Amino acid sequence: MDRGQLINWLKEPAKMSNKYSLHVVYFCTGCGIIEIPPSITARWDAERFGVKPVATPRQANLFLITGYVSLKTLKPIIRTYEQMPEPKYTVAFGSCPIDGGMYWDSYNTINHLDKFIPVDGYIAGCMPRPESIFVGVTHLWTMIDKGMADGYKRYRENYDRYRSNQEELYGELGWPPLFERDEKNAQ
Amino acid sequence: MEILNEKAVSDSTRELELYFGPQHQGMVGNFSITLKVEGDRIKEATANPGYLHRGFEKLMEYRNWIQNFPLVCRVNVIEPGSMEMVYSRGVERLAGIEVPERAKYVRSIYLELSRAASHLFGLWAYSNMLGFDTVSNWAMYHRDLILDLFEELTGGRVYHIYIWPGGVRRDFPESFPDRIRETLHEIGGKVPDYNNTFFNNRIFHDRAKGIGTINRAEARNMGGTGQVLRATGMKYDIRKVEPYGAYDEVPWDVPTREDGDAYSRIMVVRDELIESVHMIFKLLDRLPEGSVYNRPANPFKWKIPAGESYVRLESSRGELGLYLVSDGGNRPYRVHFRTPSYPHGLTVLEEALKGESISDVGNIMMSLYVTAPEIDR
Amino acid sequence: MLNEIGKQIEQSFAGVSAETGGEYRLKVEADKESVLSILGFLKNHSYDHLALISCVDRIEAGQLELVYLLNSYMESDDRYGEREKGTIILKTTVSREDPEIGTAIHVFQNAEPYERELHEMFGIDFDGHPRQIPLFLEKDYAIPPFRKDFDTRDYVEKELESIPAVED
Repeated sequence: MDRGQLINWLKEPAKMSNKYSLHVVYFCTGCGIIEIPPSITARWDAERFGVKPVATPRQANLFLITGYVSLKTLKPIIRTYEQMPEPKYTVAFGSCPIDGGMYWDSYNTINHLDKFIPVDGYIAGCMPRPESIFVGVTHLWTMIDKGMADGYKRYRENYDRYRSNQEELYGELGWPPLFERDEKNAQ
Repeated sequence: MEILNEKAVSDSTRELELYFGPQHQGMVGNFSITLKVEGDRIKEATANPGYLHRGFEKLMEYRNWIQNFPLVCRVNVIEPGSMEMVYSRGVERLAGIEVPERAKYVRSIYLELSRAASHLFGLWAYSNMLGFDTVSNWAMYHRDLILDLFEELTGGRVYHIYIWPGGVRRDFPESFPDRIRETLHEIGGKVPDYNNTFFNNRIFHDRAKGIGTINRAEARNMGGTGQVLRATGMKYDIRKVEPYGAYDEVPWDVPTREDGDAYSRIMVVRDELIESVHMIFKLLDRLPEGSVYNRPANPFKWKIPAGESYVRLESSRGELGLYLVSDGGNRPYRVHFRTPSYPHGLTVLEEALKGESISDVGNIMMSLYVTAPEIDR
Repeated sequence: MLNEIGKQIEQSFAGVSAETGGEYRLKVEADKESVLSILGFLKNHSYDHLALISCVDRIEAGQLELVYLLNSYMESDDRYGEREKGTIILKTTVSREDPEIGTAIHVFQNAEPYERELHEMFGIDFDGHPRQIPLFLEKDYAIPPFRKDFDTRDYVEKELESIPAVED
């Protein structure tokens, strides 16, 4: 690496090691799963970017939401997101999480994903090619450098509103709230 | 897996209820199974679909006949070509549209390439489940070579919108058959390596023989088709029973095995892949000249005459059917897909898992070729 | 082949009409009390593959039309004859206000998930089905979602789009 990058690394080692080893939770949420196996195998090797899939959310720091989200899938997504340790980043694939995509008038899918969990970036396409996925990862590196990838901080600050949206969709949720009220006031 | 509740049944055994849930390293697709286990053996399994339900059949009633094509190919994400073919044939049968001779051959070549790509994806999933990472990387690479061919022909890697009522949308480009032959020679030349590394491997035999056995009477009773039936010795293939396209104009064989366990099903998949490659060479040799498209007059203002039709074809997973009802207007009145993973994933899977060990759940599920988006639609 | 089966059905059961239509298709219309015995009769005459149970909402006539699609597996291992090409379409109607009919599980084992899906999507009650619990849906709907008077665009507008965005 050159002198500028070396100085960056000495100033903030945590940021450099964070962004060059993004571990992805292995969760196939929608029809975008068809372009993930080509990305992680030999032809479009994702491990040269530091991205590899891991088994549990406790070991991961990147969550890829591949495609549309149905009402039944959103509950495991919220629970998996809340189990990941901080700092954590979320990237949404395809045009369906942005504003509904092709299934905008379906009674069983949600149209705007960022009403329920915070999203750091979107990759457009239906489905995006493996090269688009890698361009998205490099954009995420730039955002981490500048401190703009702060979805987890926004979740902590606005947790009341996220939780009330989730309860309006489902009624009674089966798990207790993640953050207490005084912690939000103390921020 | 989460442990939901425990009940102490007796002093020496305890029955647990485990969730082989949607977020799991061994699950391909968004599907979950609830298992009641005692020690390591499964006593009862309940399939839990519905994570991918979009209500396709309701959405298709709000769009024109021609606007439904981009929707239809997303029902089965791994093999979209067979979905477009079955919808096109349903519309052609209701409206009485004829297809030219060259278009039948082009459709058959496209469907066989789709079948080969889908079997290579299934091989990736199965060997990944067992832990053979070498073979899974090879299979995904060879599937990518076939996707390059699709990208040259139709413009997209995964979703093509190529088959249209009246033929196909555009003809083969210059010297495209030579590129098909080159790719297939490269894939076919690697088959001895696949055999030595995976199919003749002692570890694969130990892990797959005698696991998840479904015999012929059970398969017939539970509505199984495709590999589940052909692995018990019955040569039931819709391409021979009720031929469509150009399948009755080339000589080919239906591969079968005898035992009905996971090993037989995977060997039938391998034999079908080799048979598809041979069939594409024969079809390319006999390709006739002519046009590939009988252009219908103004498809945006179509009104299909009232009636109903049921068409079926053989996809890589089994028998795929479509029941289509029209009331004479410019939208479908009722659409219902009969997908092959529906009986396999909901009835056959619960029967095949009884008495097996927990470490074989993914093994059996992948050898039955359960594809979750096909069940939920 | 299909003509003979059609004539046998008309002779054995009362109030049933059978007609062939198109290549290798036979359409049989019956009332809901005799459906189970016709299914057993066809299974004994080698039409033992239940491909699909479907339902069409005929809202003008005030009825739900149930459709059973039957094919035939091969009898011998390598001969492809005329019988395997045919499909039998068996139809019956139930009323929209109070739809109920007996279950076909005792005749065909794989009818179970089809009937469970029709129960939650159309509201039909199958007598004797062991588990009529939801298969795909997460929430409860006032009108079953696949009926013609459930407007899905209206539902999305009222229930899902009305959730406010989180200000960032």
